[in-house]
Amino acid sequence: MVKRMTFKQFLFILPLLVIIAVFSIYPIVSSFVYTVFDYRIYDQQYSSLYVSSSFNPARFYENCDYIVYYLQDEATVVDEAGKAEIQAISNEISAFMAPYQNQTQNQTLSGPEAEKIESFIATIGQRLNTVYNQYPNAEFYHQEDMPILLEDMQKSFIQPNFSGISNYQRLFKDARFWGALGITALFMVVSVSLEFVLGMALALIMNKAIKGIGLVRTTALIPWAIPTAVSALIWMYMYDGQSGVVSNIFAAVQLIPAPETMLSTFWGMVGSSIISDVWKTTPYMALLLLAGLQTIDRGLYESAAIDGSGTVNTFFRITLPLMKPSILVALLFRMLDAFRVYDLLYILTRGSLESLSVYAYKLMIGQGYYGYGSAVVVAMFACVAIIAFVFVKVLGAEVVGNDE
Amino acid sequence: MIGTKKSTKILSWGVIILFLAINIFPFFWILITSFKPSSEIFGATAFQIIPNNPTLQNYTKVLFEKNILRSVFNSFVVSSVTTLYVVLVASMSAYIISRFRFRGKALLMALILGVSMFPQMITVGPIFNMFYQMGLLNTYWVVLPYSTITLPSAVWIMVTHFRRIPLSIEEAARIDGCSTWGTLWRIIFPVAAPGVFTTAIMTFIAAWNEYLLTATLNSDAYYQTVPVAINALRTQFEILWGEITAATIVVVIPTLLIVLLFQKQIVAGMTNGAVKE
Amino acid sequence: MKKRIPAFILAGFMALSLAACGTTPASTAPPPASQPAALSAAPSGEKVVIKFAAQGDSTPATQAVLDAFNASQDQYTAEWMDMTNDSGAMREQLITSLKAGSADYDVVSLDVVWAGEFAAAGYIDPIDTYMKDAGLSVSQFNAGSMASGKYSAKQYVLPFFPDLGILYFRKDIVSAEDAAKLESGDYTYADLQAMAEQYKGQEGTTDGFVYQSSQYEGLVCNANEFTGNWQDIKGGLEEMKAMTDSANTPADILNYTEGETANSFIKGQSVFSRNWPYQWGSVKAEGTITQEQVGIAPLPNGGSVGGWLLAMNKNSANKEGAWELMKFIATEEGQKIMSTQGGYLPGFNATLEDADVVAGNEMLGMPGFQNAMTTTIARPVSAEYSKVSDALQQAIYKYLSGSADIDTTVTAVEDALKG
Repeated sequence: MVKRMTFKQFLFILPLLVIIAVFSIYPIVSSFVYTVFDYRIYDQQYSSLYVSSSFNPARFYENCDYIVYYLQDEATVVDEAGKAEIQAISNEISAFMAPYQNQTQNQTLSGPEAEKIESFIATIGQRLNTVYNQYPNAEFYHQEDMPILLEDMQKSFIQPNFSGISNYQRLFKDARFWGALGITALFMVVSVSLEFVLGMALALIMNKAIKGIGLVRTTALIPWAIPTAVSALIWMYMYDGQSGVVSNIFAAVQLIPAPETMLSTFWGMVGSSIISDVWKTTPYMALLLLAGLQTIDRGLYESAAIDGSGTVNTFFRITLPLMKPSILVALLFRMLDAFRVYDLLYILTRGSLESLSVYAYKLMIGQGYYGYGSAVVVAMFACVAIIAFVFVKVLGAEVVGNDE
Repeated sequence: MIGTKKSTKILSWGVIILFLAINIFPFFWILITSFKPSSEIFGATAFQIIPNNPTLQNYTKVLFEKNILRSVFNSFVVSSVTTLYVVLVASMSAYIISRFRFRGKALLMALILGVSMFPQMITVGPIFNMFYQMGLLNTYWVVLPYSTITLPSAVWIMVTHFRRIPLSIEEAARIDGCSTWGTLWRIIFPVAAPGVFTTAIMTFIAAWNEYLLTATLNSDAYYQTVPVAINALRTQFEILWGEITAATIVVVIPTLLIVLLFQKQIVAGMTNGAVKE
Repeated sequence: MKKRIPAFILAGFMALSLAACGTTPASTAPPPASQPAALSAAPSGEKVVIKFAAQGDSTPATQAVLDAFNASQDQYTAEWMDMTNDSGAMREQLITSLKAGSADYDVVSLDVVWAGEFAAAGYIDPIDTYMKDAGLSVSQFNAGSMASGKYSAKQYVLPFFPDLGILYFRKDIVSAEDAAKLESGDYTYADLQAMAEQYKGQEGTTDGFVYQSSQYEGLVCNANEFTGNWQDIKGGLEEMKAMTDSANTPADILNYTEGETANSFIKGQSVFSRNWPYQWGSVKAEGTITQEQVGIAPLPNGGSVGGWLLAMNKNSANKEGAWELMKFIATEEGQKIMSTQGGYLPGFNATLEDADVVAGNEMLGMPGFQNAMTTTIARPVSAEYSKVSDALQQAIYKYLSGSADIDTTVTAVEDALKG
């Protein structure tokens, strides 16, 4: 008796649609758009997506203002004729720049107006040169500053920064990107495998030995429930090269050559971040698998026991196949989670161990390269899609539940 | 035969106790450190379990000078607001998804699933720009983009729960003249209360633990949540493990309480949707 | 599952549902509850508040300067906006605010290496006209600091306090002869290595030399010094690697920032340390050793210029007030307080000769420190400094931690320096 939806009921899912559209779909689409621009937020000429030429009047005005201001100093070191010429230049600049005062928005210029400004800049440059050449012995204050100001003035013209696929081409040549991809993949594979094996072992034990003991469950939940940022900090302290308890124990039992290697060498950092992740997520995995185990009909085990099947045999013949659906789903979600690892590495290794997320964050927020950083993120997005595809289509993970 | 069973049992318990010890040890260790004066945190006394001169100085510092409680308050605000609106939106949609037929339902489910899978980093740049243009940086509006990490799983858990509720319950309500809205609020919600509550807890924890968005959108210490604020205690010029461990203990307490009180709901939330029944 | 816990929620929903059934349905969802925007306290009194963004100061100096400013003013009152002590995080925090065009801060303090980027991005205002009106000239201030804030022929900054990398050594351990050699600056990193080897272990020290080698900006400063301002990249980095691998540095030197360095030195664990002038004050404030036991010398190839600058937010609502505060902090009165109460190096040249300052700041009178001030070296200057620095940190750290060889590293460093 499932009914058709009417408009009234559509209103019920509208908030969901709006929220997803605004905070998930729109940002993803935007990120894709960013990748085809040379978009750098810390550079005024590239700090937006410019599809056509425009003009930054504030920058133009500021530089004009500076030339006029510096010319006052220059006028003090020349004779009367020079003073008159400098005054004339100042007046011309002042008249020309007046309309651009207090304009903070970038404008689109008409062709003739742009040409007018271009030729104005060129003329001023020439006239200044003439003055400076005319008085080779005068001790000017700003002779070196003027060309820089004129050059900066030229930068008031903003060119389109559409860059096509060049950000993607750069990805292929960027060793740091491939390094980060390798680290991310390594982290994902090793930590999820360990979590799975340990979690499975724990789930099997808990399934047998424990009959609903809350204490075990509660303690198991704590590492999972605290913020990754906080647990990263806790582990950072325990891995410390001098006073870290874990690093010193590991060194004492010869697991690592010396306590300080955990947070300073590449493999030390890989190992320590994997341990922290395994610590945090194994309980989660165990509880997930335990729930899966509990759905298996006990009768199957009994008949297996009658058939004389050994424990190991039963596990591989009965338990594992029956749990395949929940295992695949658990693995898929954990892998995707591990693939986007950010806060753990950013805090624990101070960003020294670069996952794709850490690299993208450094590029975008740290250095302002939104265009290229977005290309890194889009590459991540593609990897996630591939992983999900493999799980769903090849391995047959049933992530979308049956409808009716 | 009986002998092996007994030894297996002992081994099992041994493994479980080891597992619990490993789970707890880091907390135990930072608890100890938080009571040590800075002179005992380094050097030979670093590994001593009982501090020679236990002190509360680290706690008074982080509570009264570094104002860590401000971040706990902020975390409560953003997590509660996120929980409220996410549960509301998710339950309305989950009700429709579980009770009505409509075109594009499979697409909608795939979309929700997709959102829960993609790397969160992809939204950070554009959302930063959006917030910047709207002047929403350094405000509590950060709760809205929290939806990308909380809403999909909330809808998922709710749909699972709503599907378990027999349709016959609603039939009576509809005869009484209740609207869709009324049916949802009066009939479905109370029956599904455990599921709703589970969703709320899971959403709350996810929002409480969020780092990337707050770190990017709310750089002002006044709006920083626990995960960001506690990392700001790490400094370049001084090593303050005493204060950091004390702050960690303070901020972990709310999480501990939630886990202690609601562990059943949390386990239900974790396994919902992930385990086929 | 028991319904014990959600009972109160259930009650709430019941109450809601009563209303829902009685009235006409189909009302859409209420919008998510919102929070009021900024709750920040309104300024008290009639004075205009000038907000100053700066990191916490372990000395009383910054607060004293602001107090003095407030006492001298009847128009403005300065408020210290405490920034995180993690420089990288502070930079992001400032950029977020300034890019958004907010007037959260009127005056911002900037690490010397940020000024070019902030100016290029258009976040801060040039101050030449203000300087001229106040009768100040660039030459009155520390040259290195001013140069780092000159971008496209405009001056954007005044010095908050200049900084330079210096060598601290234990006078009570090192022989008088070696001390003199160090103070003259006429020695090499190899000599330092030998001395570290020789003196390590005396007076309870466990390490010879400590410096900054963690992967962060400090690594760039230290590499700059080891390579002599990138003149000898290969030799300098090899020397640094030898130092890292030797028993004269702590085993975890690759995790050392200024904090670990100071901790080791002021607790008497190391004979030599490379740090900024602030460590001199830390010895006095928290050290188990005394200032009498400490000597200061130039680093072999000169010390990196560091320190902080003052700049004006382009979107400040009170630029006049912002300028007043900048000017106060950066000139005689402010710099004198910074120097005498915090031990900071004055950025206003006249203050260097002030009798009280020289008397109150022992470092300024030390020959080793005076020599150090003559041999400073700058880090690469670039409008994309964060990119350059990040690439340098990556390359050098990889080499020091043993995952890249020297030739690859030299090429990577050269590429990074080209920008």
